[in-house]
Amino acid sequence: MELLDDIKAAREVVQALLKAKKTFRMYPETNPMYAKTIEDTHAKFRNFFDYRDELTFKIKQNELFCDSEQIYYNPEKEDNIALFFFKDALREITFKKGFSVKELEDFLKILTVDYDREVLDDDVVTLLWERDFQNVKYVVDEAFLTEDEDYESEAVREVKDKASDGDELTKAYEDSFTEEGVKDISIVPLTDKDLHAVVKEIEKDAQDKTGKLVAIIFEMLYQAENKSEYEDAAHFLNSIIEFSIRHGDLDTALKILRKAREVSGIPLIADEAKKSLNMVFSFLGYDAAIKLIGELLDSGVEINEKVWDEYVAFLDKNAIEPFITILGELKSIPARKNVINALISLGRKDIQALAKGLYDSRWYVVRNIIYILGKVGDKAAADYLLKTVNHSDIRVRKEGIKALGELGVPGVFPALRECFNDPEVQIRTAAARALGNIRSTTAKSIILQRMTDAAFVKTEFSEKKEFYEVLSKWKDNDVVEFLMKTLRKKAFFKRALNDENRACAAYCLGLMGNKDALPLLHKAKESKNKLLREYVYSAIKRIEYGR
Amino acid sequence: MAGSEVKGEVFTEAKDIINQLAVIIRTAAIHDPGNIAVTTAIDKFIALTNPLILSERELALELGREFFYLNEIRIRYSLEYLPKFDFLVLEFRKRGLGSIVFRDALKSEDMQSFLRAFTASASSPEPFELLAEELTDVGSLGVGKLRKIRDEEKTEGGSAVRRMVKKSYFNAVSYTRGVISKIKSDEKVNIKKAKRVVESMVDLILEEEQLLLGMTSIKDYDEYTYHHSVNVSILSVALAQRLGLSKRALIELGLVALFHDIGKIDIPSEVLNKSTSFTDDEWNLVKKHPKWGVRAILKMRGIDATAVRAAIVAFEHHMYYDFSGYPKIKEPMELDFYSKIISLADQYDAMTSARVYSRIPMPPDRALSLMMERAGTQLDPILFKFFINMIGVFPVGTLVMLDTRELGLVYQSDTVFLDRPKVLVVINSKGEKADRYIVELSEKAPDGKFLRSIVKTMDPNKYRINLAEYLL
Repeated sequence: MELLDDIKAAREVVQALLKAKKTFRMYPETNPMYAKTIEDTHAKFRNFFDYRDELTFKIKQNELFCDSEQIYYNPEKEDNIALFFFKDALREITFKKGFSVKELEDFLKILTVDYDREVLDDDVVTLLWERDFQNVKYVVDEAFLTEDEDYESEAVREVKDKASDGDELTKAYEDSFTEEGVKDISIVPLTDKDLHAVVKEIEKDAQDKTGKLVAIIFEMLYQAENKSEYEDAAHFLNSIIEFSIRHGDLDTALKILRKAREVSGIPLIADEAKKSLNMVFSFLGYDAAIKLIGELLDSGVEINEKVWDEYVAFLDKNAIEPFITILGELKSIPARKNVINALISLGRKDIQALAKGLYDSRWYVVRNIIYILGKVGDKAAADYLLKTVNHSDIRVRKEGIKALGELGVPGVFPALRECFNDPEVQIRTAAARALGNIRSTTAKSIILQRMTDAAFVKTEFSEKKEFYEVLSKWKDNDVVEFLMKTLRKKAFFKRALNDENRACAAYCLGLMGNKDALPLLHKAKESKNKLLREYVYSAIKRIEYGR
Repeated sequence: MAGSEVKGEVFTEAKDIINQLAVIIRTAAIHDPGNIAVTTAIDKFIALTNPLILSERELALELGREFFYLNEIRIRYSLEYLPKFDFLVLEFRKRGLGSIVFRDALKSEDMQSFLRAFTASASSPEPFELLAEELTDVGSLGVGKLRKIRDEEKTEGGSAVRRMVKKSYFNAVSYTRGVISKIKSDEKVNIKKAKRVVESMVDLILEEEQLLLGMTSIKDYDEYTYHHSVNVSILSVALAQRLGLSKRALIELGLVALFHDIGKIDIPSEVLNKSTSFTDDEWNLVKKHPKWGVRAILKMRGIDATAVRAAIVAFEHHMYYDFSGYPKIKEPMELDFYSKIISLADQYDAMTSARVYSRIPMPPDRALSLMMERAGTQLDPILFKFFINMIGVFPVGTLVMLDTRELGLVYQSDTVFLDRPKVLVVINSKGEKADRYIVELSEKAPDGKFLRSIVKTMDPNKYRINLAEYLL
């Protein structure tokens, strides 16, 4: 039988809702598809409202009906819109003609909520109820809420049966003429002041209550009578810290920690209380807590530097390993920066734990750990860093060399010298720069030794230039003498390579600002080698004019 | 049920219309309606109403119980509007006025005519009739009579409302019983369902407040814990609704109240159900239930906004406004707003309930008297004012003798005429047990005097009157 137009239109609305349910899950609000879906779906509603003022779906487990016509059927559990409503005891839903685009959007949002998520305490009916739609009405089956179907009738019968002796109404009636009445209550008018006070209280009530709960948990800690109660208090404080971090509220977590520190310091506080508070501090370093911190840092929430530093100060060395784990997972640069700063601070408590990060399979994590070890500045770090010079990844090796240079302890020289034999120019120059950072006589000797090696002249100009630049950091006679000698040096064979060396020496003298070198430089500016002339000119300019 | 209420999203100005109407009527009580003070107020009123009349064709402002409806949409308002709303409800009811219908474009002259008639009708023995007659020629305005006794109460449909309220109430009790049993056996508790139970109660409080409040007067000492939890939830939500809390907050409060005594599940049943007084040790054990409540809630729920609230209330509901209760605390703190509300509801319900160790409960009016003495010390004095106004001077279940020599039980409070509830007469003026009938004490004779007034209240428990038999 041919369906009536209005029933067809109702069916189209259902199909549009099904489609919209999928689209809403796929596209964010900013996507044009999102707006288009709303518009298309609303058009289907408008189409129906051309026929009738109200669209009512009767809901069965796997079916939707409009009037007595089945307009939807799906025996499957997946994507079954009838079952979706039915399971929460919704039995009828009506859309009225004024159903607006905004209402449709909100309705679709309710339709696409992931109700299986543990954290969500709302079902479809609750969300419809809270949204308070003007143009959506619904009927629910209240039996859904009944734990025991016969409870009401039994309870009523029982409560009525309790007056088995019968009442004494007649006696009450007689007594009423003689007995003194029960004290009356007078009406209490509300004043503007009362109303104002309540309004203020309601406003104040909007504030976050977590801090209040913290105070209560501390009271419970003070009143605890056995180990289990102490442990419960610690566990609850941990949960609140976790909750606060999850909600981007590091301040509340800090308040708990400050309070815990203060209470721990009270001389008369029970040992059990102190132990349980230590559990709170330890908790901060657990994988789960650090993972949450990572999520918070990556969420883009702006975290005040002082707040972060104070939080890190409460952490113990057990936080190092989880921090290393999340370091490789964080997506944002500020988040990584915060974790790196935390590890610099924590690494001082346990450099060995920090150094374990050097064995991480992710090269970028190892590079970060090297950087952190360098910043920790502990001479003991050198032993660990030395191993990184042989790491398979050049980026790691470079960072390792740099860190060794920053540490500058004697033990690093053989490794840095060895780097000059590395086939990678980046490693050789990194080693030179590291030695330059150390600036010791030994470091200088190693550099000069390399530069006076016969093979050095054959290296690429850029590498040579790097070495000379490093050499400029020592402004002593040995270096000046070496540079003058290089600048004067003439060669009959491989003249171009020799001139490159001379150009580098001129460049280095320029960097040093050595005025004694000016006569020699002026002389060299007449050179036929263009590169040498340019570098000599630059050096003169730098020495004479300081630029 | 939830969806049967049409929601007032469109009429965001509705509360301002009520507010302005109250202003006009008040001003007209002092000045002639032609006075500039009145006409200016009228102009403002017209500016609010005419755009709506234009879009809706007509605006019907109707009084249904304590609430105003604009074109059938209930008008919601915040606390600062309360005095004006209450004033208007009172003025409407004084005149038996149930509705005003505005049609076409409202003119200042029409409103002036209305105000003249409205003011004059106050002193008339038949105020509504006078008002209606005076307005017959005013085309843009019409008035409707206030329905004195809800039609549905006389019909099968009316019983249906009462049945629905009863069903919701017992659903809540049954649910609470189930929850407590689950918590005791470490089973998972379905909070979604708890929310639905509370939603259903909130809906009823918004629509049928007095009926649901009446249900709290039914006490069952065997099921005390469950009834008490539900009663405290109902009383708290009803009070908070009067304070202007949002629907979302009402749900939260209702849930929190439902679990306020959850710590008692850890008190051994032989102590909890003891029929004699507690020893010191037992009393000390009972006093631990607030902190055990925190533990039970946080273990059941983990931490989230509702759990935080519930735990706070579980801890504080016996601390009292002046902190003279328990548990005693080391560091000063402010009592939570919800704790203050729930503490009132808790005390009232506990005092008026039969319990294993005290099977004769206190009559409601005596309980209120006692609470009044505690207002300012144990109880928040301002919230208590709201509470007493909600419960009524003569709460449901109070045994009353009327000046007509009829004996009855307060059946339903009247939120406007607090001392004039509806009474279920059980003995007629001849002293005979009659077929029960309901009388409204706010009903007046043609001479303007009240037909009936309460002259005495008595303790129904003294006469072994089982309220359930009369009220269920």
